[in-house]
Order: sequence, then C-alpha cells, then structure tokens
Amino acid sequence: MGGELRYEIGHNAYIKLVLHALKHKTSAVNGVLLGRLSGSDATPVVELAESVPLFHSHHIGLLPPLEIALIQIEEYYSDQGLNIVGYFHANERCDDIELGKVAKHIGDHIHQCFPQAALLLLDNKKLEALPKGKDRGPVVQLYTRYILELEASWIRWK
Amino acid sequence: MVSKTEEAQVNRLENQVDNGGGGAWEYLCLVRKLKLRRSDKVLKHGLSILNDPSKRSSLGHEEWTLYEQVAIAAMDCQCLDVAKGCINVLQKKFPGSKRVGRLEAMLLEAKGSWAEAGKAYSSLLEDNALDQVIHKRRAAMEKAQGNLSGAIECLNKYLEIFMADHDAWRELAEIYVSLQMYKQAAFCYEELILSQPTNPLCHLAYADVLYTVGGLENLQAAKKYYASVIDLTGGKNTRALFGICLCTCAIGQLTKGRNKEEKESLELQSLAATALEKDYKQIAPSKLSLLRSTLKSLKLA
Repeated sequence: MGGELRYEIGHNAYIKLVLHALKHKTSAVNGVLLGRLSGSDATPVVELAESVPLFHSHHIGLLPPLEIALIQIEEYYSDQGLNIVGYFHANERCDDIELGKVAKHIGDHIHQCFPQAALLLLDNKKLEALPKGKDRGPVVQLYTRYILELEASWIRWK
Repeated sequence: MVSKTEEAQVNRLENQVDNGGGGAWEYLCLVRKLKLRRSDKVLKHGLSILNDPSKRSSLGHEEWTLYEQVAIAAMDCQCLDVAKGCINVLQKKFPGSKRVGRLEAMLLEAKGSWAEAGKAYSSLLEDNALDQVIHKRRAAMEKAQGNLSGAIECLNKYLEIFMADHDAWRELAEIYVSLQMYKQAAFCYEELILSQPTNPLCHLAYADVLYTVGGLENLQAAKKYYASVIDLTGGKNTRALFGICLCTCAIGQLTKGRNKEEKESLELQSLAATALEKDYKQIAPSKLSLLRSTLKSLKLA
C-alpha cells in the first residue's frame, strides 16, 4: 500500500483538452490522458504528461472510433514511455457536473489497465469564470478509483 | 447530416468572409440551408449586414429572414439584447405574427424561463397544432434542462405524427447513444435508412451502433453496413474502412475454431486495409507506420 497518491497534470496536456472543449462549445467532448506512475513508493505520483483530444458530439459513446483511437494512441505513445492513464470528459450542458455513464464506462476500461487512472470532468462554471475572476485554479474536477485502495466506483478527489 | 463536400463548401465560404473577402449573404444562406449551428459566425456576419442600411435594403424582403436568423444566433450566443432588438423589428413589421410569437417564446427559453416559454408554446399550439418547430422546441427545452427521458418522450410522440422528420430521428438516436441505449438508437437509424437508403452516413451510424452492441449477429450486420457505406461512397469513407477491419477482427475472435467463410471475410479485410494504406500514403504519409501497426494488431488480436 502506498502513501498518499498525487496527480500532476502537464501544462500542455491540460491546455489541449480545455481548448478542445472550447472549440466545440455546443457538444460534449472527450479525450485521453497519457502519462506514467513515478515518484517513490511512499509518495507515488501519477504524471499526466500528455493528452489527445478524441471526439465531440455523437461520436462519444460509439465503440468503433474509440477502439481505433485507443489502439493508435497506445502505439504512438509507448515509444515515449507513456501509457493511457486517464480520461477527460466535458458534458454537453454547461450546468451539468455529473459524471455520466459513458465517461464512467470509458474510465473503467482505462482503470482496468491502470488502477490509479484519473478521470477529469470539465467544470463549465469555473471555465466561464476564468476570464472574469482571479481564481486561476483548475477548471476540471478529478475523479479516481484509488484513494488508499481500489474503490468500487469513481470518487471525487478533494 | 452534412456531406463532406457541403461541409468543405461552407468552411471555404466562412474562411473567405472571415478574412474580409465578402460573400457574407451567400454564407448565411448556406448555413441556413444546411441547418448548421455556427451561431457566433452567423451573429457576427449577419449583424454586419443588418447594421449597414445599404446592405440591408439590397436584401429586399429577405431582410426579415435575416433578422430571424440573427435573432436565433444571438440567443444561442446569449446576446439577448441583440435578439430582443431583432425580434422588435420583426414585431413592428409583422404585428400579431405567429412566427414572431415563436421567436418571443424562444427568447424566454434563452433566458431560462422554462415555465413561461412552455406556456407561450402551448398557447401558440392552440391555434396551430401542427407547427413542427414548436413541437421540437418542447423537446429541446427538456434536453436543455437535463431531462433526457422527457426529451425522448417528446420526440417519440412527435415522431408518431411526423414520422418523416429525419432530423428528429437523428436527434433521438443521438440522445439514445449518449445514454448508452443502443438498441433504441439502432431502431432510429433503421428508420433513417428506410427513408434515406442512399445516404451513407445513416448506414455508417447504424453500423457503429451495431458494433457497439456487439454479439456475432450484430457484428456480421455491422460489417455488411460498413460495406454498403464503402459501396455508396466509392471507398472514400475512412471510418467504414476501419469498421470493416474492426468487425473482421471481432468476428474472428468470436468464431475461433469454427471454419465458417473465413476466406471471404479475410479478403474483404485485406481490401479495406489496402485502401486505407493507399489513403494514408496520399494524405498523411507520416502516420503510415502507425496505421500499419494498428492494422497488424487488428489482424492478430
């Protein structure tokens, strides 16, 4: 059993996913996060180093595009020593902060290969508030199934 | 559903107008015809015409159509003052008009006043029970409030009367997919294929849903529909080509050990693979090796 798990997201990875969400304002979007587990046993860190935006609108929830995408992404990034370690999702409606079925499903799939998988859900209200306020915090909500041990379902982080 | 050529045409026009090359009215007409949702562009370019008296008068009586289009785009962009301004102009020109009344109800929707909008729509329906746009607005309101099952109910009731409305069938199918109700989504796509048998995008969406549900029969059917997409598009649809490879791989896994028609399916898969390689060589040569390893893992997995 490790100590407290930390998640670090790289600048580029974060920006790419937010930009993807902004590009398709009227639909849901998703993407995968790539990275690795590093740090020591006592202080493990999940590095979310890179991201690949995937789909928008009705392609989310369909298996064929997802399967092809995941095969190609795994292949491409394994050369850089990165694996699929997380998933990003933004809901269609701006006040919807619920982790939907499709997001959980895809997250579960990633979690099976990587137990400390991170699931990031875009918080649209925070995104809207960014240009106006002074809060420069992240506009995503992190979910994980690994707090001290494997949980049965996705738990909100902090 | 827009075809590749139509989308390319719109994007070209959009680029042209964005960069000051003119053609705004042509762009706005095309967006309206293809029923695309590009509200920020429509708002920007529509207003540039409406705010210029000479450009406005050159439109003749199309001016009012533009006011309507810009009003809706403004509501989508939450520029409610602009929307109200356009609606006021239309009200003055067409007092007591039901079409303007519809826009007023949509403005209530945009403000989030769901109950009032609902009442407005109901009273408009009293005089015109067959107004398709209003029926669909009610479904849209349910969806906007996050009540997807309510939206599904509205759409199903609507489609019992207006069963030839392709957009509604597609919207319903997409809602089902987002809720992972794939069997119901398949039913919607079947209706679409029945009414538009030569539209490859319907076949493609249907095949995707069949594959997602899985099971040998569905995979075999999906493969047939991917094949018909390839047939209808002259082999130009990349997703269908990938679909063939995915189906062959998945069917192979399910029928391991059984010797059913293996040769025929392998031939189709290798044809699809060859077509994909040819496309990638032409369009994305840097990704060719990635494609090859993807195809390899699909053949072995």
